Amino acid sequence: MTQRRSYAFGTGLFIVLGFAALAYLATQTTSVANASQGSSYTVETHFANIGQLKNRAPVKIAGVRVGSVQSIELVPGKEEAKVTLSIDDRHKDIPQDSVATIFTSGLLGDQYVGIQFGQSKTPVKEGGEIGLTRPAQQLEEMIGKFFGGGSAPDRLGGTFHVTGNFTNVGALQPGAAVKMAGVPIGSVDSVTIKPGSSEATVTLAIDKRYSQIPDDSAGAVFTSGLIGSQYVAIQPGGSPTFLAEGDQLILTQSALQLEDLIGKFLVNGSPSDNKSGGAQGGTTPDNSGKK
Amino acid sequence: MTTARNDNVVVRSLSQIGACGIFLLTILAAIPRSFRHGRETIRQIWFVGAMSLTIVMTCGLFVGMVLGLQLYDVLSIFGGTSATGTVVAIAIYRELGPVVTALLFAGRAGTSVTAEIGLMRATDQLDAMEMMAVDPIAYVIAPRFLAGVIALPLLAVVFCAMGVFGGHLVGVTWLGIDNGTFWSNMTATVDVHKDIIDGVLLKSIAFGIVVSLIAVFQGYTTPPTSEGVAYATTRTVVASSIAILALDFVLTSFLI
Amino acid sequence: MTDDAIVRVRGLTTVLNGKTIFDKLDLDIPRGKVTAIMGPSGTGKTTLLKHITGQMRGDAGTIEVDGENVPSLSREKLFGLRERIGYLFQNSALLTDFDVFENVAFPLRQHTELPEELIRNIVLNKLEAVGLRGAARLSPTELSGGMARRVALARAIVFDPALILYDEPFVGLDPISLNQVLLLIRTLNHTLGITSVLVAHELAAVQKVADHVYLIANGKVVAQGAPATLAGDGSPWTAQFFGGQIDGPVPFQYPAGDYATALGFPGGKA
Repeated sequence: MTQRRSYAFGTGLFIVLGFAALAYLATQTTSVANASQGSSYTVETHFANIGQLKNRAPVKIAGVRVGSVQSIELVPGKEEAKVTLSIDDRHKDIPQDSVATIFTSGLLGDQYVGIQFGQSKTPVKEGGEIGLTRPAQQLEEMIGKFFGGGSAPDRLGGTFHVTGNFTNVGALQPGAAVKMAGVPIGSVDSVTIKPGSSEATVTLAIDKRYSQIPDDSAGAVFTSGLIGSQYVAIQPGGSPTFLAEGDQLILTQSALQLEDLIGKFLVNGSPSDNKSGGAQGGTTPDNSGKK
Repeated sequence: MTTARNDNVVVRSLSQIGACGIFLLTILAAIPRSFRHGRETIRQIWFVGAMSLTIVMTCGLFVGMVLGLQLYDVLSIFGGTSATGTVVAIAIYRELGPVVTALLFAGRAGTSVTAEIGLMRATDQLDAMEMMAVDPIAYVIAPRFLAGVIALPLLAVVFCAMGVFGGHLVGVTWLGIDNGTFWSNMTATVDVHKDIIDGVLLKSIAFGIVVSLIAVFQGYTTPPTSEGVAYATTRTVVASSIAILALDFVLTSFLI
Repeated sequence: MTDDAIVRVRGLTTVLNGKTIFDKLDLDIPRGKVTAIMGPSGTGKTTLLKHITGQMRGDAGTIEVDGENVPSLSREKLFGLRERIGYLFQNSALLTDFDVFENVAFPLRQHTELPEELIRNIVLNKLEAVGLRGAARLSPTELSGGMARRVALARAIVFDPALILYDEPFVGLDPISLNQVLLLIRTLNHTLGITSVLVAHELAAVQKVADHVYLIANGKVVAQGAPATLAGDGSPWTAQFFGGQIDGPVPFQYPAGDYATALGFPGGKA
C-alpha cells in the first residue's frame, strides 16, 4: 500500500505544480497583471464611432492607465455607441466636463480611451457620464484628407445629367467627383469621344438637390491636392436660368498637363502652341461652344 | 473473413485512422467504468506526467533561451529589442509550448505506454484480465488515456513557464534588455484568453487526446511479438508527430 | 457417457482466414473429472478453450457451459460466467506491475469488497496450497517458470471455480516442477471436485492425471476414451499420435506441388 500512497502524493504534487505554473503565467505575464488592484467605479460615455475599440482596452489619463473599457453596446434606435468605462477608485477626481476621445496607440496600434480634464469642480461619480466625447478617426478619412479627395457624395435624391466637352480630360475617370466650392455634388458618369470629334465629352451626374446651378457655369478639370485624382469643379456663373437634365456646359477648362506646365516654366511658352490641346495658362477658359 | 493482400497505403492508413476513431469511442464508453480504478489513473498520471517533468522543464528552458537569443538578434535590426519579451511569450504560449511539449510527450511517455500495453498483450496479460472478468479497456487503456489528457496540459504550462524564464535569463540577464521593459511589453500584449486559454490549454488538451489515443491504440493492436512491439512504438512517435503538427495548423487557423 | 457434462460443444464450426479450424465439432466435458484435449500442433486446441470462455466466437454451433449458451451471452453475463471459470495461461500471464501477493489478490480486489484481513487470509491460503506462501512478496520477474505457473494457478482458484482450463500447463518445466503441477491438478480435482480441462502434449503426464482424453485433428474429434485404452484402440490417428509416428493421417510433408517440376525437371510423377 505504501507504493500507492507515494504515487498519489507524487501525482498530487505534479498537479499542484502544473496549476501553480498556470497561475503564474496567467497573472504575471499577461495583461491581467495590469488589471486594477483595487475596486473600481463605472462611468458611461457615448461615441458616434468607436473605431477598433475593444473590451478591456485601456482608459488613460495623460498616458497613464487608470482603468479599462468594460462594455461596448449600440444604443437601440440611435446611431451611437454606449461605452462603459471602469475606472480605478484611486482616480475619483475626473471633472464632469472632461472630454473622452478614442485614440490610436502609435500609428497602427490598438485603440484606447483617453480622458482630457475639463475645468469643472465636480468630479464624475459612480454611474455618471462623461458627456463630451470625440469619436475614433477612421483611417480612410485621414488618408482622404491627406490626398484631398472627398468621401463619395450622397445619392439619395436621384441625379440629373449635364455634359461638357473638353479638349483634354487628363486622367479624369468615370466615378470621379464633381464639386462646387469644394463640396461634392455629383460624379462623372462617363468620358467618351464622339466619332469624328477631337474633343472628349464628359457626362456629369449631379445630385438633384443642387437644382439651382446657373446654366452659364463653367466646368474645369482640377487635381485634388498635389498628386491626387482629378475631379470636375463647377464654377458658378450668373445666369438666372438653371442647369437641367440634358444641358451642356458652355464653358469648360481642360486638365493641366504636367509636361506643358514644365515646358512653360522652362521655355516660357507651351511647346504645343496651336489651337487644340494644351492649356493656355491657369484660368482662361477654353471656348468650345460646339454643340 | 479474408483480407485482400493488395490494399494500398492509402486504404490501409485510412482504415487505421478509422479503427483509431472507433477505439476512441470504446475508450470514452469505458471511462465511467474506469473511475472504479481511479488509483490506476493516478498512478498513470505519475508515470506519464511527473516522470516527464525533467525533460519538459529542461527543454522548455533551452527553447526559451534560444528564442530569446534569436529574437534579440533579429529584432535589433529594427531597433525593436524591447519587444523580445512579448514575442518570446507569444511564440511559446501559442505554438512552441503546446507543440514541443506534445512531441516530447509522444517520444517519452507515448512510446512507453505503447510498449507497456504491447508487452501486456504479448504476454497474455490482457487476455488474463478478460479471463478474470476485468475489462482491460477500463482497467489498462482508459486510465492511461485519461492520464495523458490530464498530464499534457500541465506539462505544457510548465514548459511555457520555463520558456519565459529562459527568455528572461538570456534577454535581461545576459543581453541587457531592461527588465521593466521586458515584462511591461509582455504583459501589455499577451492576453489571457487568446494566448493562454486558447493557445496553451486548448491546444495541449487536444494534443493530449490525440497522442494518448495513438499510443494506447498502437499498443493495443500490435501483433504480440517482440518486433511487433518495436514497430508499434516507432509508429506511435511518427503518427503522433504528424497528427500533432497537422492538428496544430487546423487549430491555429480557427483560433486566430 | 451419460455423466452430467459441464461443457457441451455441439456442431462447432469456425473458419479463420480461410482455414477451417473446427468442422462441426462435438465434445462433452464431464463434470468433476479431468479431461485432456490432445492433438497435433496447430489443430486449434487453445482456440477451443477460447471458445469455451467466450473470447472467440464460432461461426456456427453451440457451446453450453453450466447450462448457458456462451456465444449468446451478453457482456455482463459473460463476465459473470468467467468468474466461475479459472484459466491457466501457457505463459502464466502474471501482471508485471504487481508482486505475487497482489497478483493472487487481484480478482478479489476487482470483484469483491472484502475487508483486507479476509483478502489476506484467502491469498495466503491459496499460496499455501500451491506451496508458495513464502514467495508472496517476490515480483513475477524473480520467479522461475514453474513457480510462475503455480502462482497463476493460485490466482485461478482464488474464487474456488467449478471449472479450470489449463492451456499447456507442462510446457517448459523440469521434471520436478512438472510433477508439482501434476500433483496440484490432481489434488484440486480429487479433493475439491473441480472439473479440469487440460490441453497438453505430454503423454506420460496426461496418462497419470486424465480421466478422459479427446484427440482432435482436422477440426474434428478423431478419437476419445480413457487414456489407458486409447493408445491401443486401432485407429490410425491414435496409432500415429500415441506411437509418435512421423507420417500417417497427419502427413509429414506440408501439401506442395510436384517435386520434380519444382526442381525444374520435365515430366510428371512416376
